[in-house]
Amino acid sequence: MKNLRSTALCILYFALLLLLAACAPSGGGDAAAIVEQYLTAKVVGDGDTVRALLCDVLEAEAGREASAFAAVEARIEGMDCTAEGERVTCTGTIIALYGTEETAFPLGSYSVAQNDGEWKWCGEVR
Amino acid sequence: MMRLCLWILLSLLLVMPAAAQDDATAPFIATAFRDLTVRAGPGITHRPTSGLGAGVPVRIIERSVTGIWMRVVLENASGEPAWDGWVMRGYLTLSPNLRLSEVPVNREVSDDDPTSQQRESFRRLYGTPIITPHIDTMRAIFLRGQEMGNRADVITKVGDSVTADERYLQPMSQPGALLGPFDFLAPTLTYFGEGAGEASVAARIGMTSYVVLDPMWADPSQCEGGETPLACEYRRRQPSIAFIMFGANDVQHMTYEEYAVQIDEIVDLTLDAGIIPVLSTFSYSPDNALFPQSLEFNLRVLEIAEAQQVPLINLWAAARALPDYGLDIDGIHMLQSGFRYLKFDTGHDAFYGTSLRNLLSLIMLDELRVGLSMEGET
Repeated sequence: MKNLRSTALCILYFALLLLLAACAPSGGGDAAAIVEQYLTAKVVGDGDTVRALLCDVLEAEAGREASAFAAVEARIEGMDCTAEGERVTCTGTIIALYGTEETAFPLGSYSVAQNDGEWKWCGEVR
Repeated sequence: MMRLCLWILLSLLLVMPAAAQDDATAPFIATAFRDLTVRAGPGITHRPTSGLGAGVPVRIIERSVTGIWMRVVLENASGEPAWDGWVMRGYLTLSPNLRLSEVPVNREVSDDDPTSQQRESFRRLYGTPIITPHIDTMRAIFLRGQEMGNRADVITKVGDSVTADERYLQPMSQPGALLGPFDFLAPTLTYFGEGAGEASVAARIGMTSYVVLDPMWADPSQCEGGETPLACEYRRRQPSIAFIMFGANDVQHMTYEEYAVQIDEIVDLTLDAGIIPVLSTFSYSPDNALFPQSLEFNLRVLEIAEAQQVPLINLWAAARALPDYGLDIDGIHMLQSGFRYLKFDTGHDAFYGTSLRNLLSLIMLDELRVGLSMEGET
């Protein structure tokens, strides 16, 4: 009886581990969520977040990325991103207002890369 | 009867040379339509030497390289010169028969007198010519571009809203251009006009020297994935010449060191594509709080043009002679004349910043077309 209980506890323990492993974001964070955070930070000019979420290869571009929408009032509408491997595709639009004129930038597909186990934004897909 | 005929013939022979002389000199007679300051050289920084009253006729004797300033002489009743000096062409009522191609060009006199300025930045900005084509260094770039498949008669523009404005360069493609006295620009307008009408994907409202290199700002309907607006425009149009001006937005969001890095990179990328980059300083209102910074930004443009030996339009210096520096009420964008075609027959370049910029760009194109023998390379 005791053995049976131990076996059941053991199975339950492994099942819990499996469940936790399945739920844990692979590679330290959901790639789609990272891209959404990145785009949001880029549009509002949040330099710290941009720097934190930018992949190593593009580290030198941090200043340029964080200033991309500095000359306009920008916001994102209807953003929805889905990840597939190292590619994240987003729908939605960046709306940039300059004076009274609005310009729309449709969102597209972006590369992501793992740096030290974390997903990072790594530029537009070529 | 015979005596009468001889008398008429003799009278005609005496009168004809005088009439011919009047025809020949009349195009060079002009009057100011308002009182003007006459200066020692072709620019507002040259010292005033005299005054010219409205309606007083003067004789044109030479012009500056751009034709924006004329050297005129006032003659007294006996035909002797009373004084001579420089005035802005835009304030003169000219003969419709005046052709600037027939007016001697003074290439020795400097566009401005920087020694009259106290601020070091002003001395450097005024000390740079309005037009510097750097023909010798651009020859190799142009020829390499031709080998790469660039189109000799196609131009484009790169910049923010001041440049994206459809009244800049694009009017070159419109029929009905009125060049007025600028007859020598007609072949250049014919050569480049057709290819100048298309909007550039590398010139957009809100653009900075940062984002022209950011693929997110590229027009997805015309650009490939991951392509920057600059690369997209150069691939799409394959121009031989790109007019590049940033500053009005940049000065608000970056340091002049960051700006210099960006402009330098844009010039490098342009040269790598076999395209002649024509840099430009930008006009900015002294009433704007960021005016001191704008001077530093403009100085970086001068330095990069000099270091890279690329063509430069010193719009800042040229626009200083215009009311409100050629700017619209916001102190950033250039004032427009309202015409959708080129109109240089009534001196608009002395009042409207966009007209001045179009004229200077066309003069730069003329220098490059002639200097590089572009004809036959289409």
